[in-house]
Amino acid sequence: MKKQIAVVLALTTAATMLLAGCGGSKDSSSSSSSSSSSSSEAIQLLNGKPEIDAQMQELAKAYEEETGKAVEVLTIGGNETASSKLKELYQAGEMPDIFVLEANQFENWSGKLVDMSDQQWTEDTDVEYVNEEGTLGFPYMVEACGLAYNADILEKAGVDPTTLTSPEAYKEAFAVLDSKKDELGLKAVVGYNVNATDVGWSSGTHVFGQYLDAGLATDDTTYIDLLNDGGQLDSDRFTAFGEFIGLLNQYTDSDLITGSYDDQVLGFASGKYAFVTQGSWIGATLTGDDKDAYEAAGSFEVGFAPYAFEDGINTILNEPTSFWGCYKDGNVEDAEAFLQWCSEDTAQKMFVENMGFVSPYTDCAYTSDDPFAKPVTEWLAEGKHSTYHTFLKKDGLQDATSVIFQNYAKGQYSSAAEFTEAMQETITSYYANN
Amino acid sequence: MSGNSSKKILAPILLVVGVVSFIAALVIDFMELGYEFRGSLLIIGILGILLGLFTLPTEKYHRNIVNFVFLFPLLFTFGVTVIIPLILGIGYSFTDWDGIMVGNFVGFDNYVKAFQQPSFLYSILLTALFVVINMILVNLVAFLLALLCSSKMKGVGFFRATYFLPNLIGGIVLGYIWQFAFSKALLGLTEKLFDLNYSILSETKFAFWCIIIVYIWQYAGYIMLIYITGLNTVPREVLEASAIDGANAWSTLFQIKIPMIASTITICTFLTLTNAFKMFDVNLSLTGGNGSVQNFMGGSLTNGTEMLALNIYSTAINKNNYALGQAKAVLFFIILAVVSIVQVRVSNKKEVEM
Repeated sequence: MKKQIAVVLALTTAATMLLAGCGGSKDSSSSSSSSSSSSSEAIQLLNGKPEIDAQMQELAKAYEEETGKAVEVLTIGGNETASSKLKELYQAGEMPDIFVLEANQFENWSGKLVDMSDQQWTEDTDVEYVNEEGTLGFPYMVEACGLAYNADILEKAGVDPTTLTSPEAYKEAFAVLDSKKDELGLKAVVGYNVNATDVGWSSGTHVFGQYLDAGLATDDTTYIDLLNDGGQLDSDRFTAFGEFIGLLNQYTDSDLITGSYDDQVLGFASGKYAFVTQGSWIGATLTGDDKDAYEAAGSFEVGFAPYAFEDGINTILNEPTSFWGCYKDGNVEDAEAFLQWCSEDTAQKMFVENMGFVSPYTDCAYTSDDPFAKPVTEWLAEGKHSTYHTFLKKDGLQDATSVIFQNYAKGQYSSAAEFTEAMQETITSYYANN
Repeated sequence: MSGNSSKKILAPILLVVGVVSFIAALVIDFMELGYEFRGSLLIIGILGILLGLFTLPTEKYHRNIVNFVFLFPLLFTFGVTVIIPLILGIGYSFTDWDGIMVGNFVGFDNYVKAFQQPSFLYSILLTALFVVINMILVNLVAFLLALLCSSKMKGVGFFRATYFLPNLIGGIVLGYIWQFAFSKALLGLTEKLFDLNYSILSETKFAFWCIIIVYIWQYAGYIMLIYITGLNTVPREVLEASAIDGANAWSTLFQIKIPMIASTITICTFLTLTNAFKMFDVNLSLTGGNGSVQNFMGGSLTNGTEMLALNIYSTAINKNNYALGQAKAVLFFIILAVVSIVQVRVSNKKEVEM
């Protein structure tokens, strides 16, 4: 009996030791991120864009081939946010050395990020993230957001997109397109998706962002300051914006009130909408998932028109939507070396040609075959760009505002003034209660 | 004898080594010294303590020690995965934790704030309504299915399996399947029926019922199985006797079967109750908690279909307010604990009566 117990105990011990061994090995791999002592270990990068995971892995491989230093790319899943993933990793003591951050998240990590103002790459770009702690965000792409249009259809209908700089011009253009819907093969003039459940980020963050920034200089913070001061809206500007949204509601495809993002992009790729309320990021889908539809529709040219809800608005939002930050307690030296490499030739070629990004670096010599690369570069070159102050609004505000956008599309408000009133009430109570 | 004397030496050595390495491991971890062997050290320590206890040359406490040694793995796991997070969570709810750092101790601020939020109060009410409706409907549907599936028809096993199947699909997947059904497949029908030009999932009152339908579809099969088991325990003699006395199917059901399975009904009622409270995955994937509500406590809301669990999640994750979410989670825990304690009390009473 005793012997048997002894055997069992011995076996259990062995098993636990084995388990402990496994735990130990995991520990050692993760601690590579927290200890800065050895430079031969891989640096880790948290990538917030699941759609470019494969390309990022290639980028890491290219870096390893060139310098012999490994980079491990962690990519978030389609359904999680980078910020919650990052907090999870932080709690587990497995912080990556480089991670993705949106503009409003820098404050959360205050004191934990590296000031990179001494880096070479800062001289080649002017859209890096800077605050009072220094240069904290490395820009890796520029994304543009305006009213994307199908240039071929506009040309056929005789609408000149460069004239779309006032509400009146839009009214006329939409009416013309609407009257020629059948001959142009359109389902609706605009593909404006207001599904609050799945695409709430589009109306709540990007479309709303037009109210905050359209037509303004990049350093103009009038409306975001007003918003962050207890959730105030400028009622004149917002009512004008509301009128414009009303116009979109009038000419949109009603299926998109509860439709999916995929439906919206596919509709645009197939030439069923003349305009779509998405930004340059759909370019990758046009040449990727929706390739067949896009080719069948004649691989049309695309462009951006401004959200001209007031006369003379002629800018689109055209800046990085997220940045890479460096963790202070991580492997700073290697991380900075990697970021410097990312701003240089080999990596820029991969960013532009494989990932379809528009480069934020002035010395980048490559152009992407992404359909939106050309219009984005043109708008940038002409200097007609505003920034994404929309990412500085209170966390999660888009969940509330997107419902109001949807209500408006459903016809719950009879006028722009009512829409403005409802929006103002929702935002004020959001700021007061959260 | 020699065994005993060697034990006398071995036991204290093992105990001392165990305690020392256990404490050393904890110290290394708390001081963040970063030695990687601390995990192994902790386990060696625990094993040392256990072996030391086991070999203690005592007759009096030997049984207790053996009990402890065998219970230890479970208690340890329970402690690490349930008790410690619970205590930490309650602690965090009194601070301004943002998921990264604890800044200040704020007392009951988070709790006060939670109760001042109309959206949170709305979620509590909505969840209560959802629980009551579900408790009734799930049980009703499940009982009817059980009656059907306990008949002596051919192929009844197939039907049982079919009804049970939805329960095996994860809630998230299920939510997306039904989202497709409501916003694509059934779109034409519901648009005509309710005179809408969009999916019923975007109309708060309908969306709420959509969640209920999906939940019943998911859960009724499971409860049905319990009812079938209950119905099968009704003694054959009683049924035969009632048949001889001339009872028809209707009175057999109400006079014999239902009273005989009263305890099953209690169990099922509480199962559905606690589970409906914890509703999360279908809620998240079907509507995301969205929905416009006019005139609730003098204002309008945008979280018309958000149940309690989802409200906690979105407070912490989407609104980046971890401490407030944690406070709400503690309240949620209290509600569930009360319900569970009542459940245990009631079921115990029933058992005595039987």
